[in-house]
Amino acid sequence: MSKPSVGIFGLTGCAGDQLVILNCEDQLLDIAGALNIRDFLMASSDRDAGCDLDLALVEGAVLTKRDEAALKRIRRRSKLLMALGTCAVWGGVAAMDRDADRSKLLGEIYGDLGAGYDSVPARALREVVQVDLNITGCPIEKEQFLSAVANLLNGDPPLFPSYPVCAECKMRENNCLLIEKSELCCGPLTVAGCDARCPGLGVPCVGCRGPADDANVASALAMFQGKSVPREKIAAKLRTFAPMPGDRS
Amino acid sequence: MLQVDKIPSYQPVLTQNPYQPHMARIVRIYKMVEDNYLFTLRFLDDRLAAGFRHQPGQFLMLSVPGAGEAPISISSSPSRPGVLELCVRRMGRVTNALYRMQTNDVVGIRGPYGNGFPIQDIIGHDLLFVAGGLGMAPLRSLVWYALDNRDKFNRVTLMFGSKSPADMLFREELVSLVDRTDMTCLLTVDRDPTGSWKNHVGLLPKLFDSAQIDPARTYAAVCGPPVVYRFVLQRLLDLGFPKDRILMSLERRMKCGVGKCGHCNVGYKYTCINGPIFTYWDAINLPEMI
Amino acid sequence: MKILKLPKEKLDFFASVVQQFGEVHAPVEQDGKYVFQRLSRWSEARLDYDRTILPPKKYTLPPRETLFQYRAGQGYLPSTEGLDKRIVLMGVHACDVYGLNLLDQVFSGRYDDPPYQTRRKNMAIIGIDCRPDGSCFCRSMRADFVDRGFDLFFYDIGDYYLTLVGTALGDDMVLATGPLFEKASPEDIDEYKRRSSSKRQAFQLEVEIRDLPEIFEMEYQSGIWDELGEKCLSCGSCSMVCPTCYCHDVADDAQLGSRDGGRNRSWDSCLFAAHAAVAGGENFRNSRASRIKLRYYHKHRGFVAEYGRPGCVGCGRCIAACPVEIHIGDVIAKLRGIQNAPSR
Repeated sequence: MSKPSVGIFGLTGCAGDQLVILNCEDQLLDIAGALNIRDFLMASSDRDAGCDLDLALVEGAVLTKRDEAALKRIRRRSKLLMALGTCAVWGGVAAMDRDADRSKLLGEIYGDLGAGYDSVPARALREVVQVDLNITGCPIEKEQFLSAVANLLNGDPPLFPSYPVCAECKMRENNCLLIEKSELCCGPLTVAGCDARCPGLGVPCVGCRGPADDANVASALAMFQGKSVPREKIAAKLRTFAPMPGDRS
Repeated sequence: MLQVDKIPSYQPVLTQNPYQPHMARIVRIYKMVEDNYLFTLRFLDDRLAAGFRHQPGQFLMLSVPGAGEAPISISSSPSRPGVLELCVRRMGRVTNALYRMQTNDVVGIRGPYGNGFPIQDIIGHDLLFVAGGLGMAPLRSLVWYALDNRDKFNRVTLMFGSKSPADMLFREELVSLVDRTDMTCLLTVDRDPTGSWKNHVGLLPKLFDSAQIDPARTYAAVCGPPVVYRFVLQRLLDLGFPKDRILMSLERRMKCGVGKCGHCNVGYKYTCINGPIFTYWDAINLPEMI
Repeated sequence: MKILKLPKEKLDFFASVVQQFGEVHAPVEQDGKYVFQRLSRWSEARLDYDRTILPPKKYTLPPRETLFQYRAGQGYLPSTEGLDKRIVLMGVHACDVYGLNLLDQVFSGRYDDPPYQTRRKNMAIIGIDCRPDGSCFCRSMRADFVDRGFDLFFYDIGDYYLTLVGTALGDDMVLATGPLFEKASPEDIDEYKRRSSSKRQAFQLEVEIRDLPEIFEMEYQSGIWDELGEKCLSCGSCSMVCPTCYCHDVADDAQLGSRDGGRNRSWDSCLFAAHAAVAGGENFRNSRASRIKLRYYHKHRGFVAEYGRPGCVGCGRCIAACPVEIHIGDVIAKLRGIQNAPSR
C-alpha cells in the first residue's frame, strides 16, 4: 500500500496542535515513515501547496475570509478532513464573543484602523465545510493523535471516549473540586481524554476540550448556581472554549 | 519491618480464558447482497476446526486485529461442522475492517456464546420460521439443522420477506427450498422491479394466508426489524400461539459475550448469556426489549 | 470459626508481620478524603476512616488494563503482567467486603474472568468494623456484617480487636505472628455484643428494601425517572465509585503502521450516552432518564433476580460523589410514595 499523502494546516489559532505533532519526538520518524507529508508549512517550507491529499489535518478556527477560502481549498484537495484541536472542532476561545457586534469589537481593539480588517465571527470547521473526523483538545493529546494516525493507516476510524472528565477524574481517585471545594469545575460537561490532568493537579477543569456527549448543561447551571456562583460567571466560563449548546450555532 | 517473604502467588488460569480469540482463516467471501456478505471461516488449528460445536441461534465474537471485536450470529448449522459461516452486515468499525479483508486473511474467533434455540424442547414439534430482511441470518442455522435432521421435526414452514429479490439474503439457497416436498418455503418481496420473481409479492404477514399452521404443536422462530415483530407477533398471538413458544433472536451491544461487561443489558437480563434467543414471554417481562 | 483477640497496641507489629503475605495497603488520608494505598509507614494507615473515594474493586478490576497483545503470526497473547502480585488489603469495611463478594460472583459463574480471579486470589482481606455516618445505609442493605470474603476481620472491643479468622490464609497470618493473638474471653464476646447493638442504633439513614424489586416493576413508567434524567449529569461518578458497578469497555489500539497492539479494557458506565449504542448508530438507551433508570433497576431488581440480593451494599459513595446530589435514599423513598425523604 502506498503511503497516504497528508497535509497539515493552521487557520487562525495558536499553532499549539501542530506543535504537539512536532513534539511527538519518539514517534516522529515513524510518522514521517508511515505518512507522505506533502504540505506542512509550520515544519517545512518545502511544500506542495496544490497536490491532492488523502488526509488533511486542520487546526484553528475560521476567523477571516482568507481562512474560509483556505479551508474550502483544503477540503477540495483532500479525501478526508480532520479537525485538530478545540478551535477547529468547536470554535474555541475565539468563538466566545461571536455573537457580539464585530465592527464594535474591531473598533475597540484597533480604533479607526479596525474597519479595514478581514475579520468574521469565529466558526468551527464543520460550520464551513464537511468534517470527517475530530480530535479535540487545547491542545490535542499526543496519545489521541498517535492512536488516530495508527487507526487511520489501518483504515479504521479513531476511537475516543465521549464521556465526561469526571469519569477519568474518579478513575484517578482525585478529590472532587466541585463537591469538596465548591469550585467552578467543568468536569461534568467536558469530554474526557485528558486523564483529568487539571483536577489531578488540584486545578478545576476549564472545559478546554469542549462538551461531552449529551452534556446536561441545564442541570450543571442549576448546580453551579446552587453553589452561589453568579450566572454570568458560569456562562462566561462555559463559553470559553465552545459556544454553549443552545446558543446560536 | 520484615522482608517480603515468598508466599506463593496464584497464577492466572488461562486454559479457560473466555476472552481468548483463536485465529481463523477467511476461506470464502460471498457477496450475497450489498453490505451483507457471507464469510466462511476455518480455524487455523485443525482440532479446533473439527471440535467446534455450537447450537443453532448462538453467536460468536469476531476479532479483526487492531479494529476490535463484534458479536456475529452463526449462520451455519452445527450439522455441517468444519467451517463457520457468518452473515456479516457492514455496520461499524469492526465489520468495515472485515470488509477490507481478503480470502486467506486471518481473524480471531471466540465462542460460541449465548443460549441458542431450545432444540430439546422443539424436537418432535412443528417448526415455523418467520424472518424479515436481515432476520434470516440468525435463523438460518436452525433452518438447516432442522432440514439435516428432518426426521426429528414434524411440519417445517419457512416464511421470509425482503424488500426486493436483489435484497434477499441467501436467495438462491432459499429459492431451491421452494420445490422441496418435505417443507413449505414461502418467499415474498415487497416489490419486484425485475419482473422475473416467481414467488410471492406483498408484505410478509400476507404469507400466513398461504400456510397451514397448527399453533397447538408448533414452535415459531421470529427475527427481523421492529416492523416484523409488530405485525408478526400479533398474528401469531391471534392464531393462538402460547407466548413461550414464540422464539426471537435479539441484537444488543454485546462486548464481552460472557455476561461481564454490562453493555447488552435488557431490563435485568443480559442478551449475551440469557439470550440472544428469548421467548415472547421473556420479552413482555423485560422492559424495552423490543 | 476461630475467634481470637489482638491487643490494639500490637497492630503495628501485626502489620509488619503480614508484609510477608504481600504488599500492605490500607486507607490513607488524601486532603480530607481517604484512599486505599500502599503503605510506606504503618503510621500512614487511618483505620478510623469513613469511606475511601474508590472501593477495593480498583485492585481486582483496575480502571484500565491490557487483556491481550496482538502479534501478527502469533495471535492474541494474554497479558498477565502484575496479576501475580500479592496484596494484603487492611482495614476493609464490611460493606466493601460484600461488594467484593458480589463482584466475585459476577466474574465467575459460567465463565471465569482470569484477570479478575487471579488478582482476587492474590489479595488478602483484613476487615475492620466501623461506625456509620449520615450516608451509610449498609444495615438496610444487609451488608453491615459480613460472614465470608475476608481472611481476618477485626472488631473494636476497647483495648483489643476481637478477631474472626475467615480462611486458612488468615490463620497462617495469625500463626506467623507467634503469640500475638490471645484467646477471646466470654467478657470480650459480651463487649462485642454490646457494641454491635449500639452500632445498630447509630444508623441515621434507612432504606426499606423488602418488595423493592416489585415496586421497581410497578413504577417502571414512573415520572420519577424523567425527573432524575433532567437532573443527572451522566458524569458516571456514581458508577466509578460504586463497589458493585462492573461495566467495562474493551477496545483495541494499534501501533503505527501495523495491526499489532493491545486489547484494553477500561471502566465504563451505563449512564454514558454511548453505553447501549450499537454499530450503525442505533442507541437502545438514548435518554438520560432511561439510563439512570437502568442503573437503579439493575442494582435493585436485576441483582436480586440473578444473585438473590440487591447489587447495592449501602456504602454511601454514590451519595458522596454525585455533583447534583441525587440521593439513593430519596429515590427509593419517592418510588415508595413516602413524601418526606428519610432522615439524614
